[in-house]
Amino acid sequence: MANKHSQAVRGAAERRLRSGKELEFRAILDAAVDAIVVIDHEGTIHEFSQAAQQVFGYAPEEIVGRNVRELMPEPYQSEHDGYLARYRDTGRPSIIGVGREVRARRKDGTLFACDLAVGQVRGVEPPRFIGFIRDITARKEAEEQLRRSEAELRLAQELANLGNYVIHADSSTPDYFSPQLYRILGVQPGDTGVVREEFLGRWVHASDRKRVAEAFAHMDAGLAPLDIEYQITLRNGTVKHLHHLAQAVRDGDGRVLKYVGTIHDVTDRRRAEDEARVLQERLTHFSRLSTMGEMAAGLAHEINQPLSAIATYSQACQRLIRQPQPEIDDVVAALEQINAQALRAGEVIRRLRNFVKNREVKREPVNCARLLEDLRTLAETDARLHNIRLRLDCHEPLPTVYADPIQLQQVVLNLVRNAIDAMADAPEDRREVVLTTREASDGEVEVTVADHGTGLAPEATEHLFNPFFTTKAAGTGLGLAISRSIVRAHGGRLWHTPNDECGVRFHFTLPVSPAVTTGE
Amino acid sequence: MIKEQKPTVFVVDDDAAVRDSLRLLLKSVGLPVEVFESGQDFLDAERDDRPGCLVLDIRMPGMSGLELQVKLNERHSILPIIFITGHGDVPMAVEAMQAGAVDFIQKPFRDQDLLDRINQALEKDAGSRRMLAERNMIRKRLESLTPREREVLDLVVAGKANKVIAGDLNLSQRTVEIHRARVMEKMEAHSLAHLVRMVLEVERPET
Repeated sequence: MANKHSQAVRGAAERRLRSGKELEFRAILDAAVDAIVVIDHEGTIHEFSQAAQQVFGYAPEEIVGRNVRELMPEPYQSEHDGYLARYRDTGRPSIIGVGREVRARRKDGTLFACDLAVGQVRGVEPPRFIGFIRDITARKEAEEQLRRSEAELRLAQELANLGNYVIHADSSTPDYFSPQLYRILGVQPGDTGVVREEFLGRWVHASDRKRVAEAFAHMDAGLAPLDIEYQITLRNGTVKHLHHLAQAVRDGDGRVLKYVGTIHDVTDRRRAEDEARVLQERLTHFSRLSTMGEMAAGLAHEINQPLSAIATYSQACQRLIRQPQPEIDDVVAALEQINAQALRAGEVIRRLRNFVKNREVKREPVNCARLLEDLRTLAETDARLHNIRLRLDCHEPLPTVYADPIQLQQVVLNLVRNAIDAMADAPEDRREVVLTTREASDGEVEVTVADHGTGLAPEATEHLFNPFFTTKAAGTGLGLAISRSIVRAHGGRLWHTPNDECGVRFHFTLPVSPAVTTGE
Repeated sequence: MIKEQKPTVFVVDDDAAVRDSLRLLLKSVGLPVEVFESGQDFLDAERDDRPGCLVLDIRMPGMSGLELQVKLNERHSILPIIFITGHGDVPMAVEAMQAGAVDFIQKPFRDQDLLDRINQALEKDAGSRRMLAERNMIRKRLESLTPREREVLDLVVAGKANKVIAGDLNLSQRTVEIHRARVMEKMEAHSLAHLVRMVLEVERPET
């Protein structure tokens, strides 16, 4: 029966070939890019186009006359007869005119994805069906690739906490927010509430609003791309730090078509930076306190001097006044001195308090010469205690530097105290610390602290600036490390050189023009 | 008697206010005072070994108080030193006392405490100077003796009787008596005991 049937199929084909229509059909069949397979109502293959031969790997004589099931993997293979039967019985097609994505099987058994469209040849009985099969392996791979890279991008955005967007100037074109951007902003995907006016007016922190609005205006005016950090408050009250980069894309006439941007949630980083800064400030303060603790004896002496003078002056006054003919001039001079010495003691305490006060780091224009003069009292305290002279050598006029005066004093005091310690055993004629300030050639002020002490051992040089490295019995090992970080935060350098005959010189520079660093 | 010179209080302190207040205090009680900014200034000053005492800050840049004390000791100065110390300078004060300082006083001090110490120091200085002067006088008297009189004196001080001395020196007892009377006269001794005390005074090692 199958044989008889295949003879009938061949006969019909031969008959068709004879007509011109047949030739046209053959030409279409063989020229078509998609594979074309013609089957009858039982699934028997009648035509198998050139493209079909390439796609499936069958020669026509191998496949024509066989059932189309062979081109299908399971479960289609088992179900196909059922489809045909149902169509025959009910006349309701499941695929005809619809097209779908299915998997097909090549001669070598490998499977591939394809789009299948099926049409029915009308007016013949039994009915014929034409299947159009397009190999979509490449497209599927491209789709898969795209899906993967989208997933990767989403993951990367999630990991980086970075979102991106495209906002069109023309409100009819829908804007794009990446999923992570919705998450960063704490809104549901598709929420359209985040328009610029609301964002600038309500979300951005009040203290940042002016700055952010200006940056947006600059971007709109084509002056600069947007690159700004600011704080926002989400609808649920959460505060976030964002780093926002954006650019306007314009048409040939310079009209803005769309804005393309990224928003990076830097809250954690900023929080860590804030914490690091607070720690650094505490450490710096702690170091000042500990310096003052070490200098307590000298400071007590420094305050005791004027107190002692006051006591003696006042006692002298009492005696002078009790004399039968008091010398009023002496009394007046003594009273003036009492006043001056009280102020002197007060000044020592004021400088001390300023130095140890826990305060905001504040940069301001600082006159180096005056700053060092101010520091002299504190530094000399220690010098006197160790029987060491302190010489100030300021090459005036010095330009103004932009710095935190207390932190600068801390650096100088650290260096002076190190110099003093280095000369503990130095002979009398060498017991001098020289503090020099001069304008260096390249727009910097250079401060030098020179001693004639023991100098630095090579192994000490190596670790000099490491925290907790100390050559002193009672040292914290923080002085130089903190000094260097302070100088660096001011945009300067701290280094050392050997002194001419013996000892060390520590130098540091400060830029004359305001230097603002973000690392502070 | 010795010519009495009014003692001077010398003050060495690097702190101008402390120095000046001390000057005024001492002036108010009528003590002559001279102030110096540093140990070197004091050493360089022409003091002609005037009587007095030294009020000295123990802690000074350059030459410290202790270093000045060492230099003065090297020069056989007898000037009594009162050290002024700050808090926590006890170890230095001990060192100063061991090197012969008469006293130390901590800043700030009650004026009367300082003045009392100064008076004691001045008395000590006066005593030392009196003793020095007396020794010098005794030495001068001894130098006025002839060699024979000196021999007789030494034997008298050794406790020998005239007869024994005459035997030792191969002189008549009468001659020894004449020499002995001359010795008593030249040495201005009131008694034998006085004579012995004077000789022992100059032969004792200096303090």
